[in-house]
Amino acid sequence: MRIRLEHVTHAYAGSDVSAAVQVLDDVSLEIASGDFAVLMGASGSGKSTLLNLIGAVDRPVSGRLLLDDVDTSSLDESSLTMLRRTSIGYIFQFFNLIPTLNVFENVAFPLSLAKMPRSEIKSRVAEVLKEVGLGNRASHFPNELSGGEMQRVAIARAVIHRPPLILADEPTGNLDSKNGDMILDLIREIHNSRRPTIVMATHSERAAAYGDYVVEVADGKVNRGSGVGSRVSEKEPGLAPTPDPRLPTPS
Amino acid sequence: MILRALVLRPIFREVQRTALTILGIAVGVAVVVAIALSNQSALRAFQESVDAVAGRANYMIVSDAGLNEDVLLKLQPFWEKGVRFAPVIDIEGMAEPWQQPIRLLAVDMLSDLHFRDYRYASVVTSDEKSAATYLAILRDDSVVLPATFAKEHGLKLGSPLTLNIKGVRRTMIVRGLLEASGPATAFNGAIAIADIAAAQSTFGFEGRLTRIDLIVPTDAIKSEIQRVLPASARMERPARRNERVEKMLRAFRVNLFALAGVALLVGMFLVYNTVLISILRRRKDVGVLKTLGTSATQVFGAFLVEGLAFGAIGSLAGIAVGRGLAWLILREIGRTINALYVSSTPEAIVLTPGILAAGVAVGTILSLLSAIQPSIEASQVRPTLLLSGAQTAAKKTRSITMIAIAIACFVVAALLSRLPAWNGIAVAGYIAVLFVVAGFSALAPMIVTAVSNLLRTPYRAIFGIVGELASASIPASLRRTSIASAALSLAIGMMVAVALMVGSFRETVRVWVDQTVSSDLWLRPAKGLSNADAAAFPNAISAELEKVPFIAAFDRASGRGVAYGDAVVTVASGDFDIAARFGDLPMIAPRSLSEALRNAIAKSGVAVSESFALKYEKNVGDDITLTTSSGPRHFPITGVYRDYSNDRGVIAMDRALYVRSYGDDSITTVVIYLKPGITRDTARRQLETMFGPKYHAFAVTNGEIRGEVMKIFDQTFLITYALLAVAIVVAVLGVINTLAALILERKRDLALLRVLGMSIAEVRRMLVLESSVLGLTSTAAGLAMGYVLSWILIYVINKQSFGWTIAFHTPVRLIAASLAVTFIASLLAGLVPSRLARRIDLASAMKAE
Ligand SMILES: Nc1ncnc2c1ncn2[C@@H]1O[C@H](COP(=O)(O)OP(=O)(O)O)[C@@H](O)[C@H]1O
Ligand SMILES: [Mg+2]
Repeated sequence: MRIRLEHVTHAYAGSDVSAAVQVLDDVSLEIASGDFAVLMGASGSGKSTLLNLIGAVDRPVSGRLLLDDVDTSSLDESSLTMLRRTSIGYIFQFFNLIPTLNVFENVAFPLSLAKMPRSEIKSRVAEVLKEVGLGNRASHFPNELSGGEMQRVAIARAVIHRPPLILADEPTGNLDSKNGDMILDLIREIHNSRRPTIVMATHSERAAAYGDYVVEVADGKVNRGSGVGSRVSEKEPGLAPTPDPRLPTPS
Repeated sequence: MILRALVLRPIFREVQRTALTILGIAVGVAVVVAIALSNQSALRAFQESVDAVAGRANYMIVSDAGLNEDVLLKLQPFWEKGVRFAPVIDIEGMAEPWQQPIRLLAVDMLSDLHFRDYRYASVVTSDEKSAATYLAILRDDSVVLPATFAKEHGLKLGSPLTLNIKGVRRTMIVRGLLEASGPATAFNGAIAIADIAAAQSTFGFEGRLTRIDLIVPTDAIKSEIQRVLPASARMERPARRNERVEKMLRAFRVNLFALAGVALLVGMFLVYNTVLISILRRRKDVGVLKTLGTSATQVFGAFLVEGLAFGAIGSLAGIAVGRGLAWLILREIGRTINALYVSSTPEAIVLTPGILAAGVAVGTILSLLSAIQPSIEASQVRPTLLLSGAQTAAKKTRSITMIAIAIACFVVAALLSRLPAWNGIAVAGYIAVLFVVAGFSALAPMIVTAVSNLLRTPYRAIFGIVGELASASIPASLRRTSIASAALSLAIGMMVAVALMVGSFRETVRVWVDQTVSSDLWLRPAKGLSNADAAAFPNAISAELEKVPFIAAFDRASGRGVAYGDAVVTVASGDFDIAARFGDLPMIAPRSLSEALRNAIAKSGVAVSESFALKYEKNVGDDITLTTSSGPRHFPITGVYRDYSNDRGVIAMDRALYVRSYGDDSITTVVIYLKPGITRDTARRQLETMFGPKYHAFAVTNGEIRGEVMKIFDQTFLITYALLAVAIVVAVLGVINTLAALILERKRDLALLRVLGMSIAEVRRMLVLESSVLGLTSTAAGLAMGYVLSWILIYVINKQSFGWTIAFHTPVRLIAASLAVTFIASLLAGLVPSRLARRIDLASAMKAE
């Protein structure tokens, strides 16, 4: 999925005691379909804000934001919901699993929402869980898992519906380095095998090295860096996935 | 500083939460106030209805030797003590032109208001409504006639009417017409009302009275009055205003009181739940503050200050809301009530100091008390506490202790309800109610979990992932949901208890009315001036009745007072074979009336009333000994029946046995069963023409009146439904408030679901399904609790307070309808706060906690 930001500005409205915060200031950026882009910047620089805008979680104050030529800022609420449901996978710093559902149900969640037949959900979830190395934990609940395991479940949930876009906000921010590396390997693996567009926010150099190139975020501006060279060449053009045809697509 | 960080800032920053907390407390206070206010109206309406049917006088002074007016002078000093009295001349005579028996009722028209309610009738004097025409009623030759009677006989205002009263013939002028409605139709038309002074002088009764009606406030005053009465005069209860009526009134009051107590508990739960949610959600903040060195006492103090402040504001709001709610509901009900019967003006509800105090206490003191336990808990929070892992293990042991507590509560309640009354007050019964409520509340978490788990599979099958999430999320926040569910269950339990009470009371009243106002056509001999003239028909009338073509059967009743031990009981008689075929008496043992009566005929036995059976500890199969005209005789008891019309105790025997035993074949009343095809009214007129001149016979048709009487009581119960309405409104407000609070709690979780692709509609559906889980749980638990509460109310509290039980009667449709209303309302209640789902800020899900 191709991402294009055109003159995007974003600010958070202040309360009656605090002033408004200008976070993004006339940002334009293009991320090609199948890229693995890394947003880097200090804490508070606006990485999460940028991810929220791309992921249709928030709307920019001004400017246009296009996903595959669809202007998301012009979509209504239900179209945005369908877009999130079918085309985007999210990975969070705090895992954000649903505590009342077990591992299987958490992973199956996007497919359940799309009302996929149960038998198919079963085989797909089993397959993905095996891929993330948790094939034997399907009936466990989130509070019975370690941080690394929870994040692997979250990754499984983010890819189960084969979205063309995966957004990850500090996916290793809450993990030790060993588990962090494991998660980053997993994300890289998924990128290699399925070719989704991935945008990952991080402030760690170590994590940034897993991406194709870095986008620096600072002072309300973005600056596309030179890329982590070698990776770019690995990419085979034309292999970018399309949304799963069995899932409803945004109108 | 701590106060600011923990209390003040959140109050103003999170306006919605603040509003919900205050609303929660206010609803708790409102239910107490609204129920107390509705109780006032219900009690007054019930009192009015009873007065309308039974008459307001609770005693009357009669004398076999005739009553002298001088007695009134002796009663004068009692006026100050609240005694009201009205002299009455009530005497049968003849309307000369048609030779029809007519009853002359002479009262003091100026002071009779305390006794007879003229709301049921209006007097038309003439078209011009001047004082002079009104005063004309007091003239010596004036009579007031029921409009129907006047019309029947072609009389108008100003028409002459010749009356023959005990041989004195006078021509009176019709100066007023009585437009009767409701129970006033009891007079059947043949009645002439006159001023007592005028009647005395016109018909030569100077200084004489038939009786004096009395309203006596207490039994102590009753004995004082008895001391000043002449030897020949005695005080009696009016036939309709017997012990039973007083007990019924007291029972109604006690039941309303108990329900107000339950309302208080509901209010307490709502307040506790609100305060608990409000404090628990700040556990994390407390953790942070404590790492920074805040002491537990400081945290505790801050929360208590908050509880007090919210409590005070919530109380004031709650009192206003409760008063408004009661006013609104009573007004709505008042609209549907025919104002003729029950004066239910919602303006008349009064906020008494007691109600105000209860409201403020529930709001303020309870908020404070409710704050204590969660405040202690919150102040004990350790910053490192991880909200995972250990929790589930703790939950298991908790639920086992809870079940143990619940069972203990139920056992204690069961034991308590077997204890006797203390000083005539069913203290143990009231405490048993508390234990039942406590038991159900302890079970609430388990019930909530069980119902949710039970619903999980069907909900998943029907509603997919949305249904699954809904059924899973309720037990996930068990602490809050179970208290909310307990509060709701109690509100619904209160509603069921109200419905059961209304149903049971209606049934009790119906039986009472059936006996007080019998459905048959009665033929009675006219009475004279004093009670000694208590007239009777000679047995010869039987042969003539046989010949009347429209009579299917008749039952000849008579009776007398008979010494039994050192008391006087009534021996009554009737034609048992007729009663067995046509009659209808509520039997206690055996079930069938005809079985009891046929056995009595076969064994020369008797049927006794419940009051006799209880008083003398006799039952079917026992023997009683009565002194007959041929000496003492044994009679086996073949039946016990329920009789609310006589407190002395009644022994009923077949007429043949009665005539043999007492050598008396006179008849006091003939109960007539008509053949189909003739109306009671036509039959009444024909019977009066046939038997009036010869026997001074008077026909009474009470059938229509009974319908009227039930109508009055149904209007009373309509007001009692105000309680029901309050309970329902509270239940619904409780659900709305709880769900709204829970949604605010879970804003972040809901945002996550939205980010993961759930639509607003799906989130809302999930929330409504959640409230359906809560609604179902509370409905099931509430139904069970309502039944147990009513059972204790009727079989323990009422029984201990009055020694008799009101009939336990389930108004199935009413309860089903109320439950349906609360369930649907709880769904709708889910809809209201689910609108909050639209306003969830999705980005908040992406942020750190
Ligand atoms: N909801 C909000 N309201 C006000 N300001 C916010 C909000 N969310 C973020 N900000 C501000 O926007 C800036 C960027 O935040 P964020 O995008 O979360 O940064 P990053 O993810 O790079 O740490 C920060 O200065 C933060 O204070
Ligand atoms: Mg961030």
